Amino acid sequence: MCFKLLISISFYKILFLIENCLILNNVCKSSITMQNNTQQKQLFEIIKIDGCLTITPISTITVYNANTIQNSLLLDKIDSDIYVIKLDLSKILEYDSFLIVLISDLKEFCNEKGINFELIGTNDTLENFINILLPKKKEEPVTIRQSFLVAYFSNIGEIVKIIFSDTFKLIEFIGELTKNFIVSIFKPKLIRWKDFPHHFMNAGVNAVPITVLIVFLIGLITGYQGALQLAQFGADIYIADLVGISITRELSPLMVAIIVAGRSGSAFAAEIGTMKVSEEIDALTTMGFDRMQFLVLPRVLAVTFAMPLLVIICDLAGIIGGLLAGLATLDITISSFLAQLNIALNYAHVFSGIFKSIVFGLLIATIGCFRGFQVQGGAESVGRYTTASVVSGVFLVILTDAIFVFLLSALGI
Amino acid sequence: MKQDKIIEVQNLTVRYGDRTILENINFHINRGEIFVIVGGSGCGKSTLLRQLIGLELPTYGDIFFEGINFTSADKKTKNKILRRFGVLFQSSGLFASMTLAENIALLLEKYTELPEDKIEKIIEMKLAAVGLSGYQDFLPSEISGGMKKRAAFARSMALDPDVLFFDEPSSGLDPITSASLDELIVQINKGLGTTMVIVSHDLASILNIAHRIIMLDKSQKGIIATGTPDELRNSNDERVYKFFNRIAS
Repeated sequence: MCFKLLISISFYKILFLIENCLILNNVCKSSITMQNNTQQKQLFEIIKIDGCLTITPISTITVYNANTIQNSLLLDKIDSDIYVIKLDLSKILEYDSFLIVLISDLKEFCNEKGINFELIGTNDTLENFINILLPKKKEEPVTIRQSFLVAYFSNIGEIVKIIFSDTFKLIEFIGELTKNFIVSIFKPKLIRWKDFPHHFMNAGVNAVPITVLIVFLIGLITGYQGALQLAQFGADIYIADLVGISITRELSPLMVAIIVAGRSGSAFAAEIGTMKVSEEIDALTTMGFDRMQFLVLPRVLAVTFAMPLLVIICDLAGIIGGLLAGLATLDITISSFLAQLNIALNYAHVFSGIFKSIVFGLLIATIGCFRGFQVQGGAESVGRYTTASVVSGVFLVILTDAIFVFLLSALGI
Repeated sequence: MKQDKIIEVQNLTVRYGDRTILENINFHINRGEIFVIVGGSGCGKSTLLRQLIGLELPTYGDIFFEGINFTSADKKTKNKILRRFGVLFQSSGLFASMTLAENIALLLEKYTELPEDKIEKIIEMKLAAVGLSGYQDFLPSEISGGMKKRAAFARSMALDPDVLFFDEPSSGLDPITSASLDELIVQINKGLGTTMVIVSHDLASILNIAHRIIMLDKSQKGIIATGTPDELRNSNDERVYKFFNRIAS
């Protein structure tokens, strides 16, 4: 008899371990239980009278036991003679938003199956709770849906638009900067010189250790790799030419520029971006300050002055690195290295590197400030444009370097 | 409304170095009430709120949540208690890189094992409760300040907290948006029985929604008045009277 009952109850849409069942004059009563490792706890009482199924939660219905409730209450095998499901909340112990999910699920199910749904046993508090949280009707997300193809091409279009708009804005920014710089030549007091030492210190002096170390290592690597090749031809002494020219012309300005872009370019973008987010830029504007003279020019000038000085120091470090690599791997002396370096290096090599570093400095600082002014919104935007300042700074430095290579070679320098 | 204490603050003192912000504060918050902490600028309202939500530890004193000492509780107990708190920060505190739905889902994903469809349902429900139906795919930067506050409100309600803390809920909002937020606070308090602890100096809002108020004073470094809005508006204490009747000192 009990076994029979178990089978019949499993056909209701409710699923669980049955703790006890009894039949009394066409009344079927069971308990939906919660299986626990250590104990069983009842979650629901289920009563079926004719075609009316009453589900009475008798425990807690919260997001924390939601999975157990879900696993227990399977509504896919309900008897076809059920015409009404009643959810009786009179015995519920504790509840949260998941009760509303449960009500909403039962409602949806009943709508689908053409079964009536009734909520009973509520009090004022429960009714208030349900009224606030139970969705009145399903709202569609407020978005414009596009087909995949349209979205794909519009995305490409957006990217192209951003690239063009960025380029135009950068040109406009450079124009504004140039104009302000020219004005400032005649009225130097317009620039906020107070900030210049601070930025020069940060972008230049504080960058010395890391740039020197990196260019020294680059010199060492170049010297070592070059020495291996040159030794095969007995051209040991030309290590001085290789290291001297490559470091002063290319590697030192390029490496210094990349490091400065990573240190100072990003710092400028983050500083200015944060100022923009906290409306400091707006405050400056309303107070009648020019953003270029107040914020951009001190930074651009500081980096532009610092770059050639950094490159000169790094030239020395790189050559010393190459010299050490040569001494360690080749049959040369310090004096022979220096004598060959004296022959190989001329002013054009050194000054082309220094000149390039000035241009790189100008570019890095300008891009850093430009990206900072592009920040909109909050912290996420600051991060995005800080990254963009480094990426576009490094890209422009390398692009400009490539242009310089062709130009200087065409000019025979 | 039940009058049992949900939060009790005992002998709370907060010092930053030699500077004392709050000294020997004692008060309690009843379950289900809208409790407002007011006071002039720099009186320690926000400091007190930071203590209540466990962002800072007091120099002396204890804070009890349902009889459990929150201040000296171990990390596990503290986290359990914090799960029953919701906080609406002054600047909303929504994660800018996440959509409103993702912001709300965060807590549900971390603390429950709900399947995705149920989480979506709860998100829809919470957003609808704050009047933001359909905005789940919006980023915080794409909605207005008032909507941000509402979205942050929905996020703070994600786990149906017992206590909701608000830091200057009406700051930066126009009077109508501010009034509708007040209405929402009252509605949620009534409907869900959530205890609301609000730090504010927006008089119109305070007098409109508060059940009980404490007023802090900078010079006294503590509470100078406790009572209902009417009691405080008619207080005999000159400082309290001036504050609640907008009279310049």
